[in-house]
Amino acid sequence: MKPKIAVFEFSSCEGCQLMFANLEAEILEVLGAVEIVNFREIMTEKGDDYQIAFVEGAITQESEIERLKKIREQAKVLVALGACAHLGGVNCMKNYQDQEEVRRYVYKERAEWFDTIPARPLSAVVPVDYAVPGCPIDKKELLEVTKSLLLGKKPSLPDYPVCVECKMAENICVFDKGMTCLGPVTRAGCATICPTFGNKCEGCRGLVDNPNVNSHKQVLQEHGLSVQGILNSFRMFEGYLEVAK
Amino acid sequence: MPLKVIEKRDVEPLIRHLMERFQVVGIKKKDGKNTYGVIESPAELRLDSCATITSPKKYFFPQRETLLQFAVDGSWEPQAVVEAQPRIIFGMRPCDIAATWMLDMAFSEVNADANYLEKRKRALIIGVDCKEPCDEYCFCKSMGTLEVETGYDLFFTAADDTYIVRTGTPEGEALLGEWGKAREALYEDRVKLRAVQREKDERFKEALEFDVEELPRFLEDSYRSLLWDVLGEKCLSCGSCNLVCPTCYCFNVLDEVKLNLSEGERYRVWDSCQLEGFAKVATGENFRERRGDRVRHRFFRKGKYMKEMFGRFGCVGCGRCTRACLVHINPIEVYNQLKGGE
Repeated sequence: MKPKIAVFEFSSCEGCQLMFANLEAEILEVLGAVEIVNFREIMTEKGDDYQIAFVEGAITQESEIERLKKIREQAKVLVALGACAHLGGVNCMKNYQDQEEVRRYVYKERAEWFDTIPARPLSAVVPVDYAVPGCPIDKKELLEVTKSLLLGKKPSLPDYPVCVECKMAENICVFDKGMTCLGPVTRAGCATICPTFGNKCEGCRGLVDNPNVNSHKQVLQEHGLSVQGILNSFRMFEGYLEVAK
Repeated sequence: MPLKVIEKRDVEPLIRHLMERFQVVGIKKKDGKNTYGVIESPAELRLDSCATITSPKKYFFPQRETLLQFAVDGSWEPQAVVEAQPRIIFGMRPCDIAATWMLDMAFSEVNADANYLEKRKRALIIGVDCKEPCDEYCFCKSMGTLEVETGYDLFFTAADDTYIVRTGTPEGEALLGEWGKAREALYEDRVKLRAVQREKDERFKEALEFDVEELPRFLEDSYRSLLWDVLGEKCLSCGSCNLVCPTCYCFNVLDEVKLNLSEGERYRVWDSCQLEGFAKVATGENFRERRGDRVRHRFFRKGKYMKEMFGRFGCVGCGRCTRACLVHINPIEVYNQLKGGE
């Protein structure tokens, strides 16, 4: 019997689900291997009988906590899909601002209708088995994690920084171009897509297991970032980590 | 082996001629820096440029390479995959030629590695002499790799309007013979070659404050030095030094199964001893958990272990690791400090 999978979202742009839906070339093969029972972005049916849940988005409302716990109860395996679910992601930038102001800015005159709590990753609420990191996720990595689960293997993410992929791709170092980069401490696996296309690494995949953050901070300072600039760089995706510590 | 002469203006026709039978690889510009790449038109080749980001080893030992294909249920025998094509690396520098010798040893002495050796066998190396140091980071002269006597099929040295070409192998000689436009070197050409070599040698400075033959001993004496801790605090463990190194040959082997879950491939990918997971084994034990231990290991490999194994240093002094290091770990400084701490 094909394993049943479901895809859910919380506070997010739904871009990671879109990456899932956009598998295109592989989608038929995926459907040959699994049965999708619940995936709002691509189907109307809503099944509650699933073994693997892919969950996108951060938790930013009380009501989301209950919903996530229910998903956790049902799913044998829960996979965080993308930076918001995995790290809290860009949502956590609001944690550094006045919560009431943020609420009014976003919901305007209807602010009263919506409760809001400091943003957090799924793992702050329920145990998360695996993650497909990134903003957005990498389709190939999604497939690798899925295949591992189907084969009964433990999915593994690279525990080396983006620099490794950058050097293999022979990219010009972002620092040599006069920019700063979180690549030296950020978990690889994205095929260094941002530096390859002329941007810096923003750290959307989270840090490697044991980053040398002190030395990296000195590198950032040497290349002109102020302390506030360094904090801002890290708070784009790693904000929750800082609060949690 | 005979000495030949080629007019500089004949180099482009030579490349065009070689492109008919070989994939020609050489140094090209990429966003203002140099990389080895496939030459699509002769004008792209930059024989005067050096200091490439990574070394030409990728043509013998690619970043990622399929080793075999297999059936998950074992219903058919795994099939070994060995890919190679006729290729000329045109413009390899003396340091990289020396590094290729090291890789040849590594991939043939202990285990004959078919994937490497097949690519190597089908490739010809045309070396080009350096005129001046790449920058302040290269120290080939101190490592004894500014001049190479072997390891090339042909070796070009620019002299006025000509290249004086040393032939290193019968294959190299045949390549020129079949092209037909190289002339025999005359007495004057030999005089000119020696003059060019002398001038070149003067432009390169010794970077090490000691005779490099003493390096293994300095390393041995410094095994417990605080220097490794200091470097370990700086090191980002990003692996860049290994990945750009022309003599690093460590790789990881991984399996990838297709979406049909019934077949897959085993591949290898460049690895780095500076990465945290490199010396981690199945029990979870990590033999070089501390960054300082990993940094030390790299310097011991380059300055001692490979010398003991193969008779030559693992470092060819190309300076790539220093150029790639965001925290300025520079082997010239490290080696000189070892001497100071004697």
